[in-house]
Parts: sequence; C-alpha cells; structure tokens
Amino acid sequence: MVSFEADTPEINDAIDTGAFGAFLRQLCKNRLGTLGGVLVVLIAAIAVLAPLIVTHDPIQIMVGPRLAAPSLDFLLGTDQLGRDTFSRVIMGGRIPLLVAFASLGGALAVGVVLGLIAGFGPRWLDNLLLLIFDTIRSFPSIIFALAIIALLGPSLVNIILVIAITCMPGYARVARTQAQALQSSEYIAAERSMGAGTTRILAVHVLPNVIGPLVILVSMDVPAVIATSAGLSFLGMGVRPPTPDWGAILNDGYSYINQTPWIVIAGGIPIILATLGFTFLGEALRDMFDPKLRKDL
Amino acid sequence: MNYYQDGVSRRTFLKTTSVFGGGIVAAGMPLSSAIWAAEGKVLTAASTNDISKMDPQFYTAVSEVSVMECLYSKLTRFKPGSEWGWELEAAEKLEQVDPTHIRFRLKKGIKFTGDYGELTAGDVKFSFERGIKHKSPVKDNWGSLDHVEIEDDYTGVIVLKTPFMPLFNIAFPYAVGHIVSEDAVMKATKDGGDFGMNPPSFSGPYVLAEYKPNQHLLLTRNPDWAGSKPGFDEIRVVLIGDTKTAERAYQAGDIDFTGITLDSLAKFKSNPPADTKIEEHPSLNYHWIGMNVDHPKLKDINVRKAIQWAINVPQILEAAFAGQAEVATGTIPPGLLGHRDKALVPPEGDLAKAKEFLEKAGVSELNLTIDCLNESLFSTIAQTVQAQLSQIGITVEINAQDAGSFWTLGMESEGDRWKDMQLTVMWFSNLPDPYYATSSFLQSRVGVWNWERFRSERFDELSAKGATMSDPNERAKVYQEMQDLMEESGAYRFLTHGGNPVMYRTTHTQAVTRPDGYPLYVDFKAV
Repeated sequence: MVSFEADTPEINDAIDTGAFGAFLRQLCKNRLGTLGGVLVVLIAAIAVLAPLIVTHDPIQIMVGPRLAAPSLDFLLGTDQLGRDTFSRVIMGGRIPLLVAFASLGGALAVGVVLGLIAGFGPRWLDNLLLLIFDTIRSFPSIIFALAIIALLGPSLVNIILVIAITCMPGYARVARTQAQALQSSEYIAAERSMGAGTTRILAVHVLPNVIGPLVILVSMDVPAVIATSAGLSFLGMGVRPPTPDWGAILNDGYSYINQTPWIVIAGGIPIILATLGFTFLGEALRDMFDPKLRKDL
Repeated sequence: MNYYQDGVSRRTFLKTTSVFGGGIVAAGMPLSSAIWAAEGKVLTAASTNDISKMDPQFYTAVSEVSVMECLYSKLTRFKPGSEWGWELEAAEKLEQVDPTHIRFRLKKGIKFTGDYGELTAGDVKFSFERGIKHKSPVKDNWGSLDHVEIEDDYTGVIVLKTPFMPLFNIAFPYAVGHIVSEDAVMKATKDGGDFGMNPPSFSGPYVLAEYKPNQHLLLTRNPDWAGSKPGFDEIRVVLIGDTKTAERAYQAGDIDFTGITLDSLAKFKSNPPADTKIEEHPSLNYHWIGMNVDHPKLKDINVRKAIQWAINVPQILEAAFAGQAEVATGTIPPGLLGHRDKALVPPEGDLAKAKEFLEKAGVSELNLTIDCLNESLFSTIAQTVQAQLSQIGITVEINAQDAGSFWTLGMESEGDRWKDMQLTVMWFSNLPDPYYATSSFLQSRVGVWNWERFRSERFDELSAKGATMSDPNERAKVYQEMQDLMEESGAYRFLTHGGNPVMYRTTHTQAVTRPDGYPLYVDFKAV
C-alpha cells in the first residue's frame, strides 16, 4: 500500500539525505505528485520488464479463440485475431514511452542548442531562427503529424521525428529567452572579461541555468506526446501491425466493441494511467521548481 | 436466392424484349403517374466505399453507382428484389434486331435540368460513345460497342462490332448506361471528357445539391423530374470509410441505412437496435490477395506459388469474417455462370509445399510489403496473411492506406507507385455476368485495374470468345478456364465473396436493394 502522507518520519527516514533524497522528500509532500511518480515508475518498470511479464507471444495469432472474454488463460481476453490482449497491453507500453522519451529528448537537445544560438547569436540569426520556430509552431501539431506521416509513411522513426519537430520550437524559445536574460548578467560579463569564449560560457554557465525549466516543460509534454502517439496509432498512422501499441489496441477494440468491450478497456486504461501519471508528476515538478509556485522549498 | 444463372442469351433476350416491346404497359407507364411522397422526409444512409466520381463513364465504385441511379436516367435498370433481372427505365422499347444491332426507343418527356432540354437519342449516342472515345478505365464495360446510330429524336440503334452478351447485364442497367446531356457536358468540359464530381445536368429524380469530400453528398429532389416521385425529399449519403464505424453511427441514430460486417451480423441479429430490420444478401463481390508479377521480388512464379500455398483461407475467413463467409474458388461466385467448383490450390494451403516452392526459387528469407485499405476488415486480412507468411520465412510489412490513396496504387496514370507494389489485399464489386468478373484482368487492363499485371494471350482470347457466346454451358467452360489461368499464374489467392448484410430503421424507411444487397436509394420508401 502506498502512503500519500509523504512527510511521515518513516518515509523520510527511508530517503537518503542527498539531493535526490531532498527531491523525493519534496515530491512526497505533494499527494498527486507522489501518485504520478508511482504510476510513472510502475509503467516504466512494466515496459522494461515486459518480456518477463507477458503470458503469451503478443503477436502470435490464434493463440486462443477470437474475441474471448477475460479468463485465467487470457487475463484481458483476446482480440479479433485470437491474440492475447494482456500480453499486447504489457508490450504495448513500450512504444508510447519510447516515442515520448526519444522525441522529447531529441526535441530538447536540438531546441536547447538552437535556442542558445538564437539567444547569443547575431540579431539576423536570431530573427531567422525565430521565424523558423514560429513557422513550425503555426501548424496544428496533429494535422502536421498526419500530413508528414501520410507523406513519409507510418513508422516509429517518422512518428518520433514528427513529434520532435513539433515540440522543438517550444523548447528553443524558452532556451532563447533564458539565454538572452543571462547574457546581460554580471557573472557572464565577468566571464567574458576573463577571456572565456562563447562556447564555454554557453556550456558551463548558461546551459545549467536553462536546463531546469526545460526539464519541467518536457515532463509536462510527456502525457501529450503519449496521447498523440496513441492517437496516431488509433488512426492507423502509428507503428505498423502486428507491433503491439496502446493506440492500435484501442483501434482494434473500437472496431469490435459490439462483440466485446474488453479490448477497448484494456487499451484505454493504460493510456489514461500513463497520461495521468506524467501529468501529476510534471505538475508536482513545476510546483517544486517554479519559484513563483514554490511554497516551502 | 437464385442468381441470374445464365446471363442473357440472345434467345432469352428476344423473348424478354418481345414481352416488353409488345405491350409495354407497366414499364412504359405514362410519366405523369406521379406518386407524391411525404414532404420533408430525409433519408440518411452510410456509404462505406469512397465516392469520387459522378461521371458514369468514369465510375470507380459501386457506391458511386448507387448515387448515380438517383441523378441520371438509363435505358434499363436492375429489378429490385432477390433475383437478378432488368426492366426498362428511360427506354420505352428495346429490341435486339440482330446479334450486333439493338434498337431503343426512349420515353418522351425526360428533361435535363438547367434548360438542357429533353433526353434524346443524341444524348444516348454521346453518353455511350464518350467512355470509349476518352479511354475510360471502365470502357471494357461496353465490350465491342462500335457506335450508336440516331434514327430520330427518340430512336437509335446501338451497333456492336461483334456480339456482346454482357451488354444487357453490365452496361445498360449499371453505371456506364447512365445518360448525360451532350450539351451540358460539352459546355462544362469542352471535350466531353471526365467531369468528375461536377455533374453539369441531371435527368433523374434527384439532383446533387452538395458534395463535401470525405464527408457527405446531399441529394435533393429534381424539380424538373416528371416521373414517379421519389420517396424522400432529401437523401444524405454520409461517407464513412469503415463499415464498423458505420455500425456505430447507426446505433447512435445518425444514419438510417447501412451495410454491416459479417463479423457483427450475429451480434446484431441476436440483439438488433430498436426498430431495425436486418437483411442478409449473398454478395457477388470477390476478395483476393494479389501479387504484382512485375515486381523483382515476385517475378519468380515459384515465390508466388509459395505465397499461394502458405495462405490458409479458412483461417483468414475465421479472423476477418467471423467464419461467416464461404471460401471463394475464383472471381465468379456460386450460382453465376462460370463458377468453379474448387480452386486449384486447396483453401487451407500447405506449408510444406509452400516451403518447397520457396526452395525451388532459391529464396530463404524474403521481405515483402502488403497494401490494404485502412479498414478493420482489410487490416485483419493483412495481419493474418502476415502471420501465415512468417511461417515460411517471409516477413511482411503492412501498409494500410485510405481509400483515395489505395485505389490509385496500381494505376499507371497516377504515378509510379505501382512499381513498388508487391502484395495487395483486394476486392472488387461484381455484376451478374462472368465477363464483368474477369474483364479487369485483361492485358489491356494492366496498370488500370489489373494490378497484378497478369498477362495471358489465352486469357484475352477466351474473354473475347466468352463475350460472344450464347450457349451457357460452353460459356461457363470458357470462364472457368480463365480463372484457372489466373490462379496458375500464381498472382492470385482467392479468398471469399463475403456477404452483404444491411440494416435499416423501419420507422423511417423501407429499404430497397439489388439482390446482392447494394442499395437502390431511388426506390427507398419513406415510412
């Protein structure tokens, strides 16, 4: 049983006193944040350990009767091809998490670099990059994703690429704003006077100050990316069959909802839990690290 | 249900037309015998196939023809009900003068909208000849049509180069038989070519008031229509790509008529939505797995044969049709002339034999793609094939595509995508004549509808022969051999003819369909 009374002495004692321990202690003070953290860890653990958890080969057809109700053999029933839904749901969590971390990681890396260049670069370069960021941001992300995937074809790489492209301008703009604010600060001026180059200033002094708010932003984007990934799969624009994926399971379930509601339930609940988990965790992180929202850190 | 077993032999036709021609009373009813329908009645029906053409000579799908029947007149029409047959529509009389000449006399008073005047023999000539002149992808529906001679405003003679038996079953009462206004089309297109989704004039009980791609078509009553009043003031045809989605829409009360999947049939029969009638109709459609013989990976017939033998058809039917559909032996369904009792490759296939063919081809591992429509039925078929082929070491990647993209995949006129096409999950609609079920696979249709790019001189020769034969037994043998040739090429694995169950709201309409379940909206009655 997970206790949400996070500031109890037992929990505090169990937590290491280092920076990570301080972080966990602070997180545990936020009930929803704790719930989010637990859900995220649970989902991540299931995704990592999925091959050990599944009860059947998730892509093997006709392992059971088609559209069967849950039973001891098939914990969440079977789909229209007689595949075990439980095993597909367990393995299906890997795709949205991979999409979320790969695309947001990529977007963050590129966004930070471009944002810092825009913030510290000459005015014309700043204007040019801003124009590019705003152009990308002006497209509705889901329409942009559908158009690009229709053009390039559905694949995991293309989904990651599309999501990374649509998320990157947001991070770049934040990095740019932060970099510009720091550019005129005294300690940067001091560094310059001591002969430090722009690259060193950006890497050693600006980047550490920029990355914190961006990580919070990224954590807040994870649920949206999971939903987008599932949405694209639901529309048949995601990973290709027979790869299990929550969105694809939902799509299969929707088609056969008259025969059995179990597939929709099995595909839908993990999406809800994952998005809730990351949302709660992201909000808790924001509350902890945003000075305006922080109460007692 | 009995199909129109032996098509129309010349003798049968002459007998039939003499009945019609002698004293056409019912079919030639005065156009003033109007029956006013209830006012303000709206029919909302789902079309689960894409609609992208309203030009009869360039139609691409049966769903388009169901709408065209509301918009244009044609010489004859399929009789509604459970048995295939035809009756006169715009023609007052239709007489086969000899095997290559057919005289028609039009009813008077059928008007085109937009002040384009009365429907005349000139419009018939223009309509029938333009598909051939403009090299329509479906010009084969006209077979050996040479030209139409005009005798007077209402009378003309259709002249064939050689006898063409299917004319009465596939050309006159179906899509290409619809008559358009020569003046209106020439004004709209300059050269009389394809007018796509912009019909310039109408001669049926309805007009096309609105078309929103991928959304709906709105038909409203034709104010110039002098014939029997149609059942509804408006017909809304909602374009819903997936039949299962259409089922949801019906349950939600959004539509009054839809086809349903065989997969859902048992559920709906045991627990039907309120005020709903469910009808089951045998389908003439045919589904198959096609292989592009021109693709380097599939050039070797042994590879194709390996795929044929690795595909277990009953397993596919169990997965995709809930075991409710019968195995097909070819393109011609049971009950139609030319149906084969069994296919050359047994339905269950044989993995050992499939592996032998693969070894003979010197292929151990093979990666292929399979293209299919992005609908649950076709996706399920593709996934089952994917699993089955993996058993002989063939890895298959599935490309599910929207209808607009899928249905142009193998067409050379639409780009070079056909070059990359390998396996496809295909289906075609069908009509009660074996010519229709085989003519898409002629050499002249390669890169049009013959996506397998199957080429056989013998097949073409038999097709030409079969179209002119009047002896049903001899004709049947010809079409059976044609299907043998298709299967021997290794380019086809026939799956099923499926089924066409439909449901409709009895508090709103009395649906009327062809024997194979396709709606005749024009005959729907308001309740």
